[in-house]
This record gives sequence, C-alpha cells and structure tokens, in this order.
Amino acid sequence: MRKGLKPLFIVAACCLAIWGLISYKQPKLYHSQSYVFGTLVDISIYGEPEQRAKVLSNHILQDFQQLHQQLHAWKPTTDNQASELGALNAAFASGKPVQISPRMAEILLDATRLSRQSDGLFNPSIGHLIGAWGFQRDEFSAVNIDTALITQLVKANPSMSDIVIKNNTAYSKNPKLKLDLGGYAKGYALDQAIDYLRKQQVHNALINIGGNIIALGQHDDKPWRVGIQHPRKPGAIASLDLDDGWAIGTSGDYQRYFMLGGKRYCHIIDPRTGYPVQHTQAVTVLIPPQAAHSTQAGVLSDVASKPIFIAPLANKAEMAAAMGVQHYMVIDQAAQVYITPAMQTKLTWLDTDLKKHLHAQPTAQH
Amino acid sequence: MRNLLHNINSAIQIGDWCVLTAGIILVAVLFQQLWSHQDATRVQIRHGDRIYGTYSLNQQRDIHVQGAMGAATVSILHGKARFSQSPCHNQYCVHQGWLSRAGQAAICLPNQLSLELIGETKPYDSLNY
Repeated sequence: MRKGLKPLFIVAACCLAIWGLISYKQPKLYHSQSYVFGTLVDISIYGEPEQRAKVLSNHILQDFQQLHQQLHAWKPTTDNQASELGALNAAFASGKPVQISPRMAEILLDATRLSRQSDGLFNPSIGHLIGAWGFQRDEFSAVNIDTALITQLVKANPSMSDIVIKNNTAYSKNPKLKLDLGGYAKGYALDQAIDYLRKQQVHNALINIGGNIIALGQHDDKPWRVGIQHPRKPGAIASLDLDDGWAIGTSGDYQRYFMLGGKRYCHIIDPRTGYPVQHTQAVTVLIPPQAAHSTQAGVLSDVASKPIFIAPLANKAEMAAAMGVQHYMVIDQAAQVYITPAMQTKLTWLDTDLKKHLHAQPTAQH
Repeated sequence: MRNLLHNINSAIQIGDWCVLTAGIILVAVLFQQLWSHQDATRVQIRHGDRIYGTYSLNQQRDIHVQGAMGAATVSILHGKARFSQSPCHNQYCVHQGWLSRAGQAAICLPNQLSLELIGETKPYDSLNY
C-alpha cells in the first residue's frame, strides 16, 4: 500500500468504528406518556424489547386507571357508580359502617399513621375544605371565599383518627369527615408499579405520575436523572441522580391554584386555618428506599412534602424530622432557597439566579 | 490521484502541522463550550399518548393542534416555542411562556397536549414538579 493512502484508511476505519459504537449504543429506551389521575403519567423502561416494554407499560396504566376509579374523591366511575371512596364518604357522612376492600383498609391505616406522624398537617380527611376552595374539580377557577363555611369546617375538626376500622368495615365518628386521597394516591400508585415491574423481572424503569417520580435500576450505565421544575419559570432549577428505589416529590403552589385580588390561592390547605398556604412556593423531598412492611418510598415522596410545605419556615426542619426526611429543599415566597446539606450534595444547579439565594437548612433531631 | 496525495504529503511542513494541531484543539474547545449550552433544536408536540409531531425550532410558524377540549396553537419563533392559544380554562400552558432550552416542557392537562424541547442531549430523563 502506498504510504499516502494509509492515513486515509486509518481515518475511515476510525469513523466506521465510532459509527458502529453509536448505533450499538442507541438507547434501548421505551417511553410512553398518558393522562391518568387527572395528570400526566410518564413511563420509561430501559433494556427491554420494545414490544414487552409496551405491554408492561400498558399494564401499569390499566392498574393506575383502576386505582384512580377506586380512589377518586369526586368523580363517579364510568358506569355512574360512586367510586369506592365515594361510597365510603357517603357512609361516613351518615355514620353507618360500610364494607371496605383489604386494599382500602391498608391505605386508610397507613394514611392515618402518616397523619398522626405529621401532627395532623397531612390530613386527607378535609375533603369538604378542599371542595369549599373549588379544588375538587378538573378545572378550577377563583371561588367566592365563604368565610363562614370555612370557619365551620375547621371547627368540625375532622381527623383520620375519627375513622374506626373493624373486620373489613369502617365508619366515622365525625360526620364532617370526607376523604380526599389526592396527596397519597399517586405515591401509592408509584410503589405498586415498581413492585409489579420487579416481579416481572424488569431491572430499569422510571415512573413519573404528575411530577412524583420513582426509579428502578438505572438508565444504561448511568443513574436515572431528573430535573426539578422552577416554581415560577419554565424549565428546571437543578437536576439530580435518582438511584435505584429512590423517589422524589414536590408540593408546589404553581400546579393547582387560582389568582384572586392579586393573591395566589393554591390547593394545599392548612387544616388548622382552613386557608391555602401562602408562605411557600415549593417543597421538594427526596426519599431513599424504605424497609419492607413500612410506608414505601413512593407514598412518602407524595405525603411528606405536604406537612413540610404547610409548616411555617421556623418549624419546617422539625416537621421534616418528624416525617423522617433528610433530603429536602424549600423555596419560600421571597424565592429564598433553604436546603439541607444532604440534599445540596445531590443537586447539580442549572438556574444560576436561584443558586444565589441558597441557605443551609438545619437538620433537626426527632 | 497517487501523485496528488504524494504531492500533498511532501508539501506539508512543520508549520502546517502546528496550524492543524491548533485547529483541532480550537474545535475541541469550542465543541465543549458550545455543546454544553444544550440549546434546543426541535419541539415535540404530544396529544394524549401519541406524538403529534416533531418540528424544527429554526422557523417561524404557528401550528394548530386539536386537543381533548379543542384546538390550541403552538407558536415556533426562531429557536423557541410556546402555547400561544388554548381552549383550557386556567391557561397555565399559555402562561408558561416561551421555552428555549432542551428539556423544558409545557403541559396542558385539560386539553391533554404537551410540548417538549429536544436538543442533541437530554439534560434529564424526567421532570419533577
């Protein structure tokens, strides 16, 4: 071979090798998006044949749909029957005992335990208050604030401990108790989905229900990576690796809210005052895998951010400790960011403006 | 052809090699610097569980998409995209404004439409909100 041609061949061989590597490395990623739970469900499955990933993903979506119909707080099912939760709420209002499924019993007991743990700030029994603020609708608009009604509903003081469960039946000692599992069901669905995928021998998946995310395995040779939405701008403020079994959840005042008289009224209501919380823009919690037979990471990522969101800034550290949360970040109404050292080490900041307003959030002992 | 290559080979001097090397280093540095900005090149519009279409951001165009509630308008304007009109009540999707970086997304839940900006690399797999 002539000397002059040799480099050309080497270059050509390199190009071919790189091209081959790129096509080999083409992601074996299946990605689907659907609307369930009145929100966006986003499923990524890595490393499975496309057809299988599709079947698995559809199975998960069907389970979500079923769960949604079982737990929906205000919509009857398609055949105009009240959902299991709807029937339960009707029975609670009358004070009569009603039969419940084992799954519902399990959910109610777990939610009651979490409510007690949060000193009642996570309170799924204030369905009437949520309704009074107009958040039990698919689309919400500014409501006329009925102060008398709100005072009355706060005074009725419904609590999860008013529910008595015995031999697969349940009744409420408080007729003003109305369940709304909006702050629990998505997390529960995440845990169910991950459980199902593990049983199906799937090793790598990422499931996002309305912003609540749980990871299984990783994406190729790297952990799954998630962005955290800016509460006031389009785009992410930071990103982080979500390791196997970890879950992340955010409570924000920017997804479900209405504006009235220049004030923002979000869907997160302080059960003690009956009013939407106005001191906080967002609370993000990152939850590691939990021990078997205790509340799982998905549920915790959904539930734990709520009481931290509702607690005033001075009490947030204490509330996080009560919920067993070490990794969390608070963005208050003045766009100041309070972040625990454990959380900070996990984040890669993308929003340089917000990064200038970081404050170390102390870790309280519980 | 052989003669030509031979001529090129013998014509390259030390100085040329220096210029070549400097050029390669410059390209590598620029690649690193500019690539990491993750500017978006395309916008993907989804309706429900299917992809409605993927469009280049390098144009000025209004796209009318039929959603679950009705027709919405997605505007593309030289490197950015947004919902500019929507039949939904709250108009959160319209208030999201212009999206310009890869990974940014706007979702209209009632109308079941979503926009996502796509770049050469994906900054994250999914968004927590």
